[in-house]
Amino acid sequence: MRQWIEKQRYIIDFTISSLLRRKVKNFGLLALYTLIVFMLASTMFFTYSIKKEASLILKDTPEIIVQKIVAGRHDLFPVSYIDTLKKIRGVAAVESRLWGYYYDGLVSANYTLLVPPANGDTSGKSRPSAKTTVVVSESGGQQADKSKPLFELGGAVLEPGTLITGNGIARLRDIGKDDYMPFRAFDGSVLNLRIAGALSSQSELVSSDLLLITAEDFRKLFGIDNRYVTDVTVAVNNPSEVEMVASKIRKALPEARPISRVEILRTYDSIFNWRGGMMIVIFSAAVLAFVIFAWDKASGLSAGERREIGILKAVGWETSDVIQMKFWEGAVVSLTAFFTGVILAYVHVFFTGSIVFEPALKGWSSLYPNFELTPFVNLEQLTTLFFLTVVPYTVATIVPIWRAATIDPDSAMRFTGE
Amino acid sequence: MIELMNVKKVFNAGNPSEFPALNSVNLTIEENRVTVLKGPSGSGKTTLLSIVACMSRPSAGRVKLKGREITSLPERFLTDIRRKTFGFIFQQPNLIKGISVLDNVMLPAYPLGEQRLHLKVKAMKGLAELNIANKAASKVEWLSGGEAQRASIVRALINDPHIIIADEPTAHLDTKLSYRFMEIIEKFKAEGKTVIITSHDPLVFESSMVDRVVNLRDGRIEDKPA
Ligand SMILES: Nc1ncnc2c1ncn2[C@@H]1O[C@H](COP(=O)(O)OP(=O)(O)OP(=O)(O)O)[C@@H](O)[C@H]1O
Ligand SMILES: [Mg+2]
Repeated sequence: MRQWIEKQRYIIDFTISSLLRRKVKNFGLLALYTLIVFMLASTMFFTYSIKKEASLILKDTPEIIVQKIVAGRHDLFPVSYIDTLKKIRGVAAVESRLWGYYYDGLVSANYTLLVPPANGDTSGKSRPSAKTTVVVSESGGQQADKSKPLFELGGAVLEPGTLITGNGIARLRDIGKDDYMPFRAFDGSVLNLRIAGALSSQSELVSSDLLLITAEDFRKLFGIDNRYVTDVTVAVNNPSEVEMVASKIRKALPEARPISRVEILRTYDSIFNWRGGMMIVIFSAAVLAFVIFAWDKASGLSAGERREIGILKAVGWETSDVIQMKFWEGAVVSLTAFFTGVILAYVHVFFTGSIVFEPALKGWSSLYPNFELTPFVNLEQLTTLFFLTVVPYTVATIVPIWRAATIDPDSAMRFTGE
Repeated sequence: MIELMNVKKVFNAGNPSEFPALNSVNLTIEENRVTVLKGPSGSGKTTLLSIVACMSRPSAGRVKLKGREITSLPERFLTDIRRKTFGFIFQQPNLIKGISVLDNVMLPAYPLGEQRLHLKVKAMKGLAELNIANKAASKVEWLSGGEAQRASIVRALINDPHIIIADEPTAHLDTKLSYRFMEIIEKFKAEGKTVIITSHDPLVFESSMVDRVVNLRDGRIEDKPA
């Protein structure tokens, strides 16, 4: 047994040094392979997470969101519309929302500013406490467990002149409780807000870019007067009436665009379908590339490799030793490529917001200006990927070696010294 | 003792390029002797050595090693015998490029799974004996012809073989190194090893160490005794 291990070690060492000997060729190969795994894994991570995320978001999405549209673009929503909405039959409640994005040039980061519902404009029924559950569907809504509040204020009280920061921002700006954070308001004046506390959250992603602010300050900052809110959510009495209520809203307020949960679902669906179609194209292209590449590998040994195998056999390596060497070669290359590819894909999808796919995902921006996915990784998928890449490649490296078995050791004696 | 009985080797049998390299060779090689195979180029010396060393099979005839018939053994056993019994010094050094001299020398021992440190010491000792210990870490492509030849000699000896087979070992060596090589051969003999050498080099076949010279011509052994 010890001998066997020692032997494998020798063979692996020799394999690695063999790989390093043909640096250019093997690094090229490794790079290509890694790229393919990267594409496959990115696609997998992306589609899986987006689906997962979508299902989570949709669970919490209000039945209808109503936005005002001017020239096809999302505009501020007049508070006066709320009464009209409330009068529509089938509407159970209307709540207004105030939220937006603030670009902090100092650290080049986008914050999501949100007025917690209790502090929002009071047209809807008010929420009970400051320690409240906030559904941040518009900022990505990575809520994992509906029963727990998305974040807790930890006793901090939000009052005018203060704000509550997400931990990401606190870290980024290196600030904490009772520090002041300056904001440049719409009119160029500077608004200094005191940090009343930090958010604790089950999901860092939810809270990291989040700033909770009072309605008063929000309006001051963005120059939105009391007659407007960002948008409103509408709850209906009977879920089956959503479509009907939505069409009534469209009639009553021609400028308003009601977006029903079903519609969001449909948007997701169509996005999945054609984005998914693109993903499938990418995916199959990558698989195809892989097959060609594995085939190329499988279809031959170079003259140099044949010569080496001849020498190895002549000095006493068995065919099985040579096969083991090739097995390790395949394993080293494919495992390296697999892990590098998967890690890169993980970083790519979950930390860089899938920049490589960005052109294909542009359409998302209307729904999620700040597109960041929560890492959801499915072990089953990884296993599939593993069997789709590592195994065929390793096999492909071993296959031509059966032919090497036909290389007679005495062929080594006939090679003329180059 | 190695016995060859009616050994024939035909290359490309059945093809227009069919070529009988060995014709009914009968030869007995005694243990602990130095035997030299001599003959013009193309007479089949290398072919004969490769059959003796279990590297290729004869087209006909039988080969016995210590009374054991080896011609019909499966490849695995042949490899095993080859690696444990024979040390082969090729006509060309046949080193593997890109790795160090030391790694090359240790190569035949890898499948045996010997302890690394032990193996390294043995390899370094072998290199030192042929005055190329200082080249241990060099890549083989930097070696001169003679150095490469010596490295290949060390490699042939790494598994401490009982029978040493050398195909034109002095072809790339100068006179001084050739004498040095013959000294090594003498040492083998003293250790009780069997040595088979092919050579055109009078320095080899006229050496006092040599017990027997076999003449080969056109794939046949010439009967006149050496
Ligand atoms: N694989 C092969 N296919 C066809 N012919 C071969 C093959 N190997 C050897 N031969 C031929 O067999 C003959 C004997 O070759 P061998 O290498 O044994 O000669 P040699 O006595 O070692 O010559 P040298 O002294 O030049 O090394 C040569 O004519 C060679 O061309
Ligand atoms: Mg020859």
